[in-house]
Amino acid sequence: MTGFNLHRAAAVARKEVMHILRDPFTLVLVLGLPVVLVVFFGFAIDFDVKNLALGVYDRDNTRHSRQLVSVFESSGYFLPGAVDSPAAAVRGLDSGRYSAALLVEPGFGREVGGGGRPRVQFIVDGTDNSKAQAVLGYLPGLTGAALRKFGATVPADPVPLKTRFMYNPELNSRWFVIPGLAVIIIGLLSILMTALTVAREWENGSMELLLSTPLRPAEIIAGKIAPYVGLILAGVFFVNLVARFGFGVPFRGSYLLFLGGTVLFALASLSQGIVISVVTRQQQLAMQLSMISGLLPSLLLSGFIFPVESMPAFFRYFTMILSPRWFMEIARGVTIRGAGAADLALPLAALAGLCALLLTAAFKKFKTDLEP
Amino acid sequence: MKRTLLAFIRKEFAQVLRDPRMKLILFVMPMLQMTVFGLALSSEIKNIKLAAVYAPSDAAARRLAQRFTASGWFVPVAAEGRAPEDLVVSGAADAALVFPAGGFAREAARGCGGVQLLVDGTSVTRARSVEAYARAIFAAHAAAEAGLPAPAAPFGFDVRIIYNPEMESPVFMVPGVMGMIVCLVTIILTSMSLTRERELGTFETIVSAPLENYEILLGKTLPYIVLGLANAALVIAAGFLIFGVPVKGELWRLFSAALAFVITTVSVGTLISTISKNQQQAMLGGFIFLFPAVLMSGIMYPVENMPALLKPVVYGNPLYYFTTLLRNILLKGGDQSVFVFNMSALAAMAVVTGAAAYNRFRQTLN
Amino acid sequence: MTAAPALEVKGLSIKFGDFTAVDDVSFTVERGEIFGFLGANGAGKTTTIRMLCGLLVPTSGSATVGGLDFSDGGKGIKGKVGYMSQKFTLYTDLTVGENLDFAAGLRKLEPAYAMRRRKELFELIAFDSPLSTMVSSLPGGVKQELSLAAAMLHDPEIVFLDEPTAGVSPASRARFWALIRKVTALGKTVIVTTHYMDEAEQCGRIALMRTGKLIALGSPDELKASAFPGPMAELDFNGPAPEGFLESLKKNQGLLELSPQGMRWHAAFRDKAAMDAALSSLPAAAARTLIKPSLEDVFIRLVEGIER
Repeated sequence: MTGFNLHRAAAVARKEVMHILRDPFTLVLVLGLPVVLVVFFGFAIDFDVKNLALGVYDRDNTRHSRQLVSVFESSGYFLPGAVDSPAAAVRGLDSGRYSAALLVEPGFGREVGGGGRPRVQFIVDGTDNSKAQAVLGYLPGLTGAALRKFGATVPADPVPLKTRFMYNPELNSRWFVIPGLAVIIIGLLSILMTALTVAREWENGSMELLLSTPLRPAEIIAGKIAPYVGLILAGVFFVNLVARFGFGVPFRGSYLLFLGGTVLFALASLSQGIVISVVTRQQQLAMQLSMISGLLPSLLLSGFIFPVESMPAFFRYFTMILSPRWFMEIARGVTIRGAGAADLALPLAALAGLCALLLTAAFKKFKTDLEP
Repeated sequence: MKRTLLAFIRKEFAQVLRDPRMKLILFVMPMLQMTVFGLALSSEIKNIKLAAVYAPSDAAARRLAQRFTASGWFVPVAAEGRAPEDLVVSGAADAALVFPAGGFAREAARGCGGVQLLVDGTSVTRARSVEAYARAIFAAHAAAEAGLPAPAAPFGFDVRIIYNPEMESPVFMVPGVMGMIVCLVTIILTSMSLTRERELGTFETIVSAPLENYEILLGKTLPYIVLGLANAALVIAAGFLIFGVPVKGELWRLFSAALAFVITTVSVGTLISTISKNQQQAMLGGFIFLFPAVLMSGIMYPVENMPALLKPVVYGNPLYYFTTLLRNILLKGGDQSVFVFNMSALAAMAVVTGAAAYNRFRQTLN
Repeated sequence: MTAAPALEVKGLSIKFGDFTAVDDVSFTVERGEIFGFLGANGAGKTTTIRMLCGLLVPTSGSATVGGLDFSDGGKGIKGKVGYMSQKFTLYTDLTVGENLDFAAGLRKLEPAYAMRRRKELFELIAFDSPLSTMVSSLPGGVKQELSLAAAMLHDPEIVFLDEPTAGVSPASRARFWALIRKVTALGKTVIVTTHYMDEAEQCGRIALMRTGKLIALGSPDELKASAFPGPMAELDFNGPAPEGFLESLKKNQGLLELSPQGMRWHAAFRDKAAMDAALSSLPAAAARTLIKPSLEDVFIRLVEGIER
C-alpha cells in the first residue's frame, strides 16, 4: 500500500457523483431545498413581538382613559379588545386569547386631570417569558406617549442619548434570520447526506466491496465527501442569490472569506455525518443520531434564535464544540457587518480546528474498522 | 387479530430495544436534551459586550460606564484606542458608548452634545434591548448624580405577571421541547420502519400471510404509538421532576392530547415510509416534515406575526396544537375552550393522516 | 383432502401497465410433486410464484391453488401455502425464537400448536441451537433452512421457494435439496425456482420460462428427449478447433445444435447416421465422446430455438 492516491479517491468520487445524478431526488433536495426553506422561513420567522391581543376593561370611560387605550392601539404592539369584567379579562388570559390585560378603574381620568397619581392595572401572561419581557419593555414608551397625549409635561432626559443602529438601521429582522437559516439548513443536509451514504453501503454490503479493493480509508472518505462539498457550494450560491435579491440582505464582506468559511463548515458537517455512519453502520440509527446531534443543537444552541451569550457559562463553553455556532458568527459577520478575516480569526480558527478534529475522527474510526 | 397485533408489538419492541444504542437514544437522550435545552435556552439578552470610549481623565464618564457594568447586562470590553465603529465591525463589541471628546461632565453641563450609543443592529431583538437598557441606566444615573429620586410620572402601571411570575425560560421552553422530542422520536422510528422491511425483503413474509390490510398497518404502527406515548410520559415526568414544570391540568387531558398527537405523527411517518423508495429518501422525507414542524410551532418564536399567507402552515402543524395544549394544560390548568378547540384539531388530524396512511398503504400492497 | 391437483393454471396472464410479465401460461401440478421453474432473470418466474401465493391477482386466466381460486382476492390461498421469497425472509436482528413467534402471530396460530409445529420442524431441519440464538450469527445454509421452517409453521399444503439456495455454499445447497425431498415425502407439494441446472435436474418436472412465456414443460428426461431426439457428442480438439471445421459443421443439415462448453463443444444431431457423416472429417487429434445432454443444453437449445 502506498500513500494517498488522488486517482483512487477520484474514482470513489466519480461513483458517488453517479449515485447522486441517478437519484434526482437527492440532487433536487440539496440544490432546491435550502432555497425553498430559506424563502419560506425568511418570511415566516419574525421575532418581533407585535399585534398582541390586549383585553381592555375600561370602567372609567373618560377622555383620558380612552386616550390611554388609543395609545396602546396606535403603538402597533397591541390589538385592544373590550371585555366586560376583570374576570372576563383573566379568563381571556387563561384561554390564551389575550396576551395581556389592561384594567382601568373609575376615577382615572379625574385623577390625571387633577394632578393625582392614578395606577392602572396591567396583567401580563408570563408563560412565554420572552414575549412578557418585550411587553414590559414597551411600557415606559407607552407611558411617555400617553402623557404627551394628556398634555402633561414629560420629564426631559438630563443627558441626551443618541442611538445609532449600525448595519441594520431599520432593524429588519430578516437580515438576522436569513443568514442564520442558511447555516442551519446547509449544516443539517450535509450531515444527513453522508450519514446515510456510508451507512447504506454498510447495510447493502457494498462497503465490503470497497474495502476489498486497495482503497485506503482516506481515499474513500475524500471520495465520499468531495462531491457533496461541490453540491453544498452550489446550494449556498443559490441561497445567497435569494437572500440578496429576494430579501435585500446586504453582502458587505469578502466573498472569498465567506467561501473559505463555507468550505470549512461543509467539511466539518460532512465529516460529522461520516463519523455517525461509521459508528452506527445502520441507517435508522444513523438517522436518529444525525437528527439528535444535528437538528436540535444547531437550531437551539448555535445562536440562531437563542443568543449564545445569554446561556449559563457551562453551556456557553459547550456550544464551542458545535460547528454551526462558529459558522453562524462568520456568516452573519461577513454578510451583515462586513467583518474581515482578522476580525473573525477566532471563529475561523475554531471552525478549522473542529473540521480537522472531525475529519481525523472519521478517518481514524474508519481505519480501526478496517483493521480489526 | 389480537394474536397478530401482539406478535407485531413483541417483534417491533424486540427490534427497537435490542440495540443498546437505540435504547439510549430513546430514553436517555430525551432527558439529556430536555436538561440541556431547558437550562441553556433563554431569550433574555444579557452579557452584552460594551466598549466605552472616553478620555482617560473623564471621571464622570467612567462613573457612568461603571454603572453599565454594574447593571449586570453588560460586560466591559477594552477600547484599546480603536475607533468605536471598528470595535463593532470586528465583533469585539456588540455596542459602543461614545462620550464627547470634550469631557462628559462639561458637555452635559452645557446642555449640548450627548452620548452616542453605537449598536450592532444585526440582531434586532438584541439591538432593541440594548437601547432600552441604556435608557434606563441613563435615567437612573442622572437621578443618582443629582441626588434626587427618579422623577415620578403622573400615572403608572401596576404590573402583574401571571402563570410564570418569575418569567423563567425553562417553564416556557420545556413543554415546547417535550413536544419536539416526542415528534422527532416517532417520526424517525416510523418513517424508516416500513421502508426498511421492504429494502430487506422481510415485507414479503408479512404480506404473504392471510392478513387484512388494516391488521398489517395496525401491526406496524401500534407498537410505535405505544413507544411514543411512553416517551411522552417520560419527558413530562422529567419536566416535572427536573425543572419543576407544574402539571396543573388533569392527566386525562394530557393523555388524550398525547394520544392524538402520537397517532398523527406515527401516521405521517408511515406515509413517508410508504412513499419512499429507500431509507435515505425516508430520512430526507422525515427531515422535510420535521424542520417546518419544529420551526412553525410557536416553540421558538411567536407565530402570531406570521404573514397571512403562511398562517395555514401553522394551522396544519400538529406540533403547534400539541405545544399549545401542553402549555395550556401544564402551566395554566387546561382551559376548557382551548382544550376543546386544539384537541378537536389534533383529533381531526389524527383521523385524516391515519386515513391517508391507510389508503396509501393499501395502494402499495396491491 | 380433496383429490384435486395441487395447482391448476389455465391461460394465466399478469400485466403491469403495458408490460406483460406472465403471458398465457397453463400447467397443472400434482400433489407431492417437486415442480421447478427454470429461466433467466426477468423470465417471469417470481411473478408467477407471487401470484400463486396470493400476492398478485391475475389479469386474465384462471388458477386454483389447493382447490381455491382468487374470488376472495387471494386471501384463502395465502392460508394454504407457505412462501419463502427471494430475499432473506427472517429478521437478522431478532433471535430464532422471536422470528418463529412472529411468524406464528402472522398466521394467528394457537401458541400450543405453534410450539408443537416448531418442535416438529426443528427435527425436520435438524436444528439444535438454542432459541435465543441471534439469526445474524447463524451460517447461511442454516438461515435458509430456518426460513423454510418459518414458512411451513402453519403446515401449508404447498410450499413455494423462490431461489432458496441463491448465495449459499454447494454443500449447503445439497443439504437443502435433501430437505426439500423430505418435505415432499410428508405429502407436501414444493414449487421451486432456480437457475442452477443441477438443482433443476432434481425436480420431478420443470417448467421452462422465457419472457413471460412457458416454453417447455416436462420431467428432465422428457425435456432432454424432446429437445435432442438424436445422439450428442462432446468434441475436444485439444487446442483451438481446425480452421473451417466448425463452420462447415454448422452448415451440416444433420446438426441440431452446436454450443461451446468451455474449451470443448457439444454437438447434437438428428440421428446416429447424421452424426457419423458429419464427424467423418473430424481431425485425428480431436476426441469425441458420446454424452447425455444436460439440462443446460436443453435450455440453450430451446431458448435459442425461439430466438432463431
